[in-house]
Amino acid sequence: MKCRECIEHLYEYLDRELTPAVETEIRDHLAHCPPCGTKFDFEAAFKKFVQAKSRAQGCPPELKQRILRELFDE
Amino acid sequence: MATQAPTPADSSRRSAFEKEALVHLDALYRVALRLTGNASDADDLVQETMLKAYRSWDQYQPGTNAKGWLLTILRNSFINEYRRRTRHPETVDVDTIEPFAVFNDIQEEDPQGAFFDKIVDDEVLRAIDGLPEAFRETVVLSDVEGMSYQEIGKILGIPVGTVKSRLFRARQMLQGKLYDYAVGNGYIKGRKP
Repeated sequence: MKCRECIEHLYEYLDRELTPAVETEIRDHLAHCPPCGTKFDFEAAFKKFVQAKSRAQGCPPELKQRILRELFDE
Repeated sequence: MATQAPTPADSSRRSAFEKEALVHLDALYRVALRLTGNASDADDLVQETMLKAYRSWDQYQPGTNAKGWLLTILRNSFINEYRRRTRHPETVDVDTIEPFAVFNDIQEEDPQGAFFDKIVDDEVLRAIDGLPEAFRETVVLSDVEGMSYQEIGKILGIPVGTVKSRLFRARQMLQGKLYDYAVGNGYIKGRKP
C-alpha cells in the first residue's frame, strides 16, 4: 500500500470501518512508514481527546425522574 | 376513581422499555444538548422523545438498534419543533478547509498532540457547538456516541459516503478551532507568522 492510499483510509481505519484485510495492509504500512505512523497517531489522539472531553455530561437525575413519572405515572 | 392496577402486559412493556430504551438517556441528552445548544430545550426534547418512543414502542423490534431508533425520533422532533427556535452560529466556510492543516503545522512542535490535554471540556464543547449543524450532528454521533457510519447514515438519512466526507471536514474544522484556541492561550507556539 502506498502512502496516499493509506492516508485516504485514515479515518475509516480509526473508526474501525474497514475489512480486516485492509486493516492489516494499513497496519503493515504504518509499521514501516514513520511519517504516516505519526499522522495516524496524531489523529487517533485527537479522536480519543474529543470523546474523553465530551462524554462527561449525562442526563440530569431530575430530568430522569420527570421522565419516569411521565411515562409510568410514578 | 381509583387508578387501575397495571396488567402483566403493562409491566412487561415497561420492563422492556426500561432495559432497552431508558439505558440510552445519557446519550440522548448529550445529542440533544449539542443539537439545541441549551439545557432547557434539551430537557424538553429528551422528554418528548421518550414519550413518543414509549407510545410507539410496539414499532420497535426487540434486540435491534434501540439507540439508533431513539436518536432518529429525537432528531426528527428536533427538526420539526426546535430547529426554528434555536440559533447556532454558523460561521465556518466549509469549502475552505485545508486537509490536515493542523497536523502539518504542529508535527515538529507537538506531533503527539500533547497540547490537547491542556484544553478544558467546555472549550471542546464550544468548538463542537460552533460547527454548522450538518457537521456537528455527524461528529457528535461518531466521536461522542461511537456510532458506525451506517448507523449515522440511517439516523441522518444520508449515504455512507456523505457521512465520511462530513466527518472528515468536521474533524478538520474542530482541530482548526481548538488549535487556534491553544495557540491563543500560549499552550503551543503554533505556525510561524
